[in-house]
Amino acid sequence: MSTSLSYTLVITGAPWSSQAAQTSLAFARAVITAGHRLDRVFLYGDGVHLASALSAPPSDEPHWPQQWSEFLSEHQIPGIACIASALRRGLVDEREQARYELSAHNLRAPFQIAGLGEWVDSTLTSDRVLYFHGSA
Amino acid sequence: MTTLIVIDQAPYGTWVGREALDMAFSLAAFDQPAALLFIGAGVAWLRRAQNAAGIGQKTLEKNLSAAPLFGIEQLFAEQTACERFLPDPDSRVKGITMAGSVNHLLEQYDHVVFAG
Repeated sequence: MSTSLSYTLVITGAPWSSQAAQTSLAFARAVITAGHRLDRVFLYGDGVHLASALSAPPSDEPHWPQQWSEFLSEHQIPGIACIASALRRGLVDEREQARYELSAHNLRAPFQIAGLGEWVDSTLTSDRVLYFHGSA
Repeated sequence: MTTLIVIDQAPYGTWVGREALDMAFSLAAFDQPAALLFIGAGVAWLRRAQNAAGIGQKTLEKNLSAAPLFGIEQLFAEQTACERFLPDPDSRVKGITMAGSVNHLLEQYDHVVFAG
């Protein structure tokens, strides 16, 4: 009997302001290593900062957005930033840049911007939905 | 499967509670059952006659009052927190179900979401 499970991770804590990005990445790696499936990573609230293409930490510090985007690309896992959270916090893709006539876009590939419906879908389809918050 | 959204922070200080409320409304919009639970300082959401104009924000009481209209099944509040933060029952909005035991309530839901 297969014990493989499907997971969605919801990250609401911002990188560097919290350990959410780091802890969730460690968990995600463990999920894959253990033979489970990661359906989706959903960034919500302050968690959307993880999808910024403009983060530039010192070279001797961990680069959570880069590490997360490499992990998502390697395993072809959808990374979704909630559109309402993202727009509030200045994270936009080309489409939203055009829509709001902004001067730039800064969404890091392979992250995409989409609505809360993606999260709702996860609550219906993933075996487990885990939340990584910025505060205890 | 009903999702229980838990709000444990007072309104206005951060957007965490608003974004948790958006999650509940989103579930309801997709015809998925949702309920809200306010615990700790989060019960301040339930104060009647809020007026946030003085701090340049929209009053959240209106958002909350729309919850039943959007299909949110139930609004729960931690009883001990209400007694601490809103001791006068008349100071609370109507339509709230008191939860004597938060742990007991949480056990009844397969999917519990704490506001960040």
